[in-house]
Amino acid sequence: MRGLLALMLASVAAVQVLAGAQNPRPGVPDITGSWERYGGFFGAPTEAQRNDPTIPPRAPQPPLKPEYLKEWQARVQAAREADAKGTPLATNYTNCLPDGMPTMMGAMFPLEILQSRGQITIIEEAFTQVRRILLDQPQKRIDDVEPGFYGRSVGHWEDDTLVVDTIGVKENVRFQNTSHSRDMRIAERMHLVAPDILWNEITITDPVTLDKPWTVVYAYRRMKNYTLLEYVCEDNREFADQGFQKSTLGTEKK
Amino acid sequence: MIPGRLLAICCVASLLLAGARPVHAHHSFAMFDHTRTVTLKGEVTRFQWTNPHALLELDVPGPGGMKHFTLELTSINMMQRLGWRSSDIKAGDKVKAVMAPLVNGEAGGLLLEITLPGGKKLEPGVPAAGTFKRTPEAE
Repeated sequence: MRGLLALMLASVAAVQVLAGAQNPRPGVPDITGSWERYGGFFGAPTEAQRNDPTIPPRAPQPPLKPEYLKEWQARVQAAREADAKGTPLATNYTNCLPDGMPTMMGAMFPLEILQSRGQITIIEEAFTQVRRILLDQPQKRIDDVEPGFYGRSVGHWEDDTLVVDTIGVKENVRFQNTSHSRDMRIAERMHLVAPDILWNEITITDPVTLDKPWTVVYAYRRMKNYTLLEYVCEDNREFADQGFQKSTLGTEKK
Repeated sequence: MIPGRLLAICCVASLLLAGARPVHAHHSFAMFDHTRTVTLKGEVTRFQWTNPHALLELDVPGPGGMKHFTLELTSINMMQRLGWRSSDIKAGDKVKAVMAPLVNGEAGGLLLEITLPGGKKLEPGVPAAGTFKRTPEAE
């Protein structure tokens, strides 16, 4: 009898855990599921896209301080020149390294958002990148966070908006090829602008490199029947050679 | 009659070309020649289903004897979203492959389109594939 009771209690607990994994708090939007970038178009947007109010405006240029702006422009120009010669510069991808924050939120490949009790987890399909947003917890001091690709994220709901603060991103993890300091902070505001369109307003502040906050807005569209695929960077034939991306194509690998 | 999956691949590829979906690349495609394509007719020795790219190994007969080429495709995730399966190409298949060749002249390139033994054509969804200028196939 005691065994049966224990089994029943365990079942109830399991159901509660499953329910909690679905949507932990009444009134909080259900953003669990797969999402693809919406409106991040290659080339100039069409008129229809320009008239679509759920597509956010293009990202502005980074408001870098003069010395960092000069460095960034030189980097962009060097990449352009290397491309023109057919010898592109190596990037983190060349070494199978993931985007990190906030580039992963650009959702080059689909995202999966999971709402569970006390935490929201975001997975980006490419390189199986994972970030955890701890809900309703205090943020640490920057000096107390060891630098990483995704940093430390804490968040809370303000009505229907998920507000997230991220610190502790490694300085070699670059967003749009810009430099940042250890003091960089990433603020995100995620909210549904339509039942299946989620916006993420990302504002980066950095007292060392930026003149003023830099805001970039990404939109994502819900993918109703899509399960994220596995992604392992298994056989990368591109490699960095003296700063350039090279390939072993043409030399058969046995 | 066009099989459903092929139709889906064609439609999605067209959308990609039209810029109606976000398209991104994991690296620069600048190492491939954007000014010309080369059409290879040969036998598949291996179709490798990996990330960050699928790879196709081909033996191609020519005036100087058999030459081996390695072609890069896109990410297998992107290819699966376009409808590709790992079983679409097998060793021993006689195929026609249109590639943007490596700028450095090595025997490799970026696969833009492949015609399988049954005549079915597949595209791996190369971002901005339209920017690669096609060279008509030599007779």
